[in-house]
Amino acid sequence: MQDQILIEMKGVQKWYGGYQALRNVDLTVRRGEKIVLCGPSGSGKSTLIRCINRLEAIQQGSIVVNGHRLDDSIKAIDVVRQDVGMVFQSFNLFPHMTVLQNCTLAPIRARRISKSEAEATARKYLDRVRIGDQADKYPAQLSGGQQQRVAIARALCMQPKVMLFDEPTSALDPEMVKEVLDTMIGLANDGMTMICVTHEMGFARQVADRVIFMADGQIIEEGAPDAFFRNPQHARTRQFLGEILAHH
Amino acid sequence: MTPHFGLAEFGFLLRGLQWTVLLTLVAFAGGCTAGLAVALLRTCGHKGVEWITRIYIGMFQGTPLLLQLFVVYYGLALTGLKLDAFVAVAIGFTVNASAFLGEIWRGAIQAVPRGQTEAAMALGLHYSSRMRDIVLPQAIRISLPATIGYLVQLIKGTSLAAIVGFIELARAGQIVSNQTFQPLLVFGVVGAMYFILCWPLSWWGSRMEARLALASQR
Repeated sequence: MQDQILIEMKGVQKWYGGYQALRNVDLTVRRGEKIVLCGPSGSGKSTLIRCINRLEAIQQGSIVVNGHRLDDSIKAIDVVRQDVGMVFQSFNLFPHMTVLQNCTLAPIRARRISKSEAEATARKYLDRVRIGDQADKYPAQLSGGQQQRVAIARALCMQPKVMLFDEPTSALDPEMVKEVLDTMIGLANDGMTMICVTHEMGFARQVADRVIFMADGQIIEEGAPDAFFRNPQHARTRQFLGEILAHH
Repeated sequence: MTPHFGLAEFGFLLRGLQWTVLLTLVAFAGGCTAGLAVALLRTCGHKGVEWITRIYIGMFQGTPLLLQLFVVYYGLALTGLKLDAFVAVAIGFTVNASAFLGEIWRGAIQAVPRGQTEAAMALGLHYSSRMRDIVLPQAIRISLPATIGYLVQLIKGTSLAAIVGFIELARAGQIVSNQTFQPLLVFGVVGAMYFILCWPLSWWGSRMEARLALASQR
């Protein structure tokens, strides 16, 4: 079970017009694995995870999620999105809905479960991210850290097989980073498969099974966090780690 | 003997006012319905459809409303479709309003941050739900001041319907003025009637705009 493959990307290429954002990317993620993606801005790490739930289309290569091959058909995209949860840098909560409504909308509309069942599930996950008492507030009434925890709960309500995090703490004030990271660590400890684009190297050391370094749309290097941080193989990786670790 | 401006004349103006309001309501309701379709087609992501809608909007924004009313009233009559004056102007105003409202809402739909649509897609929501539950509720809020502004323009613009012989408020005023030779008084009353219709709407619109500005500061 542990070795079951959940995501398999092979030879993925992506262009924005003449600019190549992903170059021949191969990535295999097993069930339960926690992966941290890092790299300089513009290296393609966000683009990579956005291809997994088809927020971005790829031009070449293949992506298989939970046994379903992702192609251009609405059905394939649908099936894959049901299995993949995503948390964004800018939260992207729906501002005209309460916290609870944010969490119940997709289960009701996309999974077609009853409102009462959706609310019960939503309250369970809101409690789990320790924000259950704010269920009837609107996003604007919450702090950034609270909003991001709601966004995590909202994604969990769809009961995804894997969670994608796109720089989830980059837009937060420093004092709120920890509460979001703690939530993510809790999720990791519960066995959730996760791919996190982040510069939080402490988080990477603590929960990642593998750390992947990208530059110029390519995967340059990957390894277990210990080896990756202690003994990076490539000059680009060393340079990058030198730059971001200097700030910590 | 020339009649003076009295209760009968005032009643005549009130009936004109009634037609103005009715025409506005029909044109606005029709324009909203068709305008929503125009706005959705204009933002559907299909290049061909977006271009056709763009041309549709451009055509109605780029030619005088007067001309459009002529085409509907006289033009369609030439093809054998003789329309009642009210029906003809109602069609003309509806189609015209659909282009303007469509363009206002196109802008509002595009003003909803892209991240909202992306979050909805990531949650597995389909187009209909993304629009109905996420994008349109926010777009309508954004577009409310401009929409109300357009409604005010529409109320006053219905006076053009007089050109094909439809008696609404402005035309009724002209008739009464010609009978009584009291243009200042008559048009003063007519103006006051338009003002009573339009001013509260304008006020509501600008209050809404101030509220939105405040909300976006937070």
